[in-house]
Amino acid sequence: MLLADKRLVITGVLNEQSIAFSVARLAQEAGAQVVLTGFGRGLRITERIARRLPDPPPVLELDVTEPAHHRALAADLEERWGAVDGVVHAVAFAPETALGGDFLDTSWDDVATALRVSTYSFAELSATLTPLLRAAGGGSVVGLDFDATRAWPAYDWMGVAKAGLEATARYVARDLGPQGTRVNLVAAGPLRTVAAKGIEGFADIERSWGEQAPLGWDVTDAEPVARTVCALLSDWLPATTGMVVHADGGAHAIGAPTPPAS
Amino acid sequence: MSSTVYERVSTILVENFGVEADKISADATFEDLDLDSLDLVEFSLAAEEELGVRIEDEEAEALGTLGDAVKLLEDKGATPGEG
Ligand SMILES: NC(=O)c1ccc[n+]([C@@H]2O[C@H](COP(=O)([O-])OP(=O)(O)OC[C@H]3O[C@@H](n4cnc5c(N)ncnc54)[C@H](O)[C@@H]3O)[C@@H](O)[C@H]2O)c1
Repeated sequence: MLLADKRLVITGVLNEQSIAFSVARLAQEAGAQVVLTGFGRGLRITERIARRLPDPPPVLELDVTEPAHHRALAADLEERWGAVDGVVHAVAFAPETALGGDFLDTSWDDVATALRVSTYSFAELSATLTPLLRAAGGGSVVGLDFDATRAWPAYDWMGVAKAGLEATARYVARDLGPQGTRVNLVAAGPLRTVAAKGIEGFADIERSWGEQAPLGWDVTDAEPVARTVCALLSDWLPATTGMVVHADGGAHAIGAPTPPAS
Repeated sequence: MSSTVYERVSTILVENFGVEADKISADATFEDLDLDSLDLVEFSLAAEEELGVRIEDEEAEALGTLGDAVKLLEDKGATPGEG
């Protein structure tokens, strides 16, 4: 099996629509052992949702902005497994004012929150788990991205946060490469999750995606993205690090929606 | 029959969300009960587990009042509990 005996830490499961939920389900089906993390009031929801996975996993508390939670997470995993083969970072947040509104009228405090939770946390979580990844012989860190090479309607400061995430992933790849850890992002097409529905105007991006993507795109199906994450967690991309892998139906490669040939 | 689904929903609200029992009425909106969108996500999960009926996200977002939620659950086949 693709992920037989892999010990994986998966953040970002809020409900069954969460990209991370599909990752956890597929990973378990592929033989992995999984620990989920949950955050704040959402922790209770994550605990409920965990029971819907094929093999209900433990849920540990992790607010990525709480250093104490990082320490407790590392301590728990050290005791539980002594090593970690894979980490999925599927965490993002921006205050409403930083999204779908007035880009030029967003306060630094709100931008800072977005960057703290959505960008810096990737480096922080990687650092937290570095010794455990090393103990596993390297392992794989995978984050969730939305193509940040272009500006989008509504995405606003989250787009800036994702551009920072892309750069952060390259630096973490640089620093963890020597211990054999691969660090990559999956740039997903738009999916109707709680996070995405919180972005007023995101529907405009959703609408055109299917027309632009040569392979088509289903905004209600996170499985293609989750499969891509699982591939990066597996041993089958052993020389790939510092990459953004697009799981978007191919939309990023096409300049404008192309009508079907008549 | 309808009062029983209503009662079970009320129990969920009191026990899981700390809503005060005297605030609960059929025309109370989720806002009146201090439930935000995250609470609604949890409410639909709890209702699904307790009543065996699935509320889709879109449906949860469209719910105005508690009465609407009870009606939706009944329309979807929720039945009064055994207890
Ligand atoms: N849905 C899309 O269209 C889309 C597209 C590309 C990338 N992504 C990315 O995928 C990832 C997962 O999002 P999703 O779409 O599955 O939505 P989601 O709402 O299901 O997941 C977002 C998660 O972030 C977590 N989170 C927020 N603040 C946190 C904090 N301080 N500490 C710990 N966790 C916190 C939430 O608990 C939640 O589980 C995000 O990075 C998102 O930007 C989403």
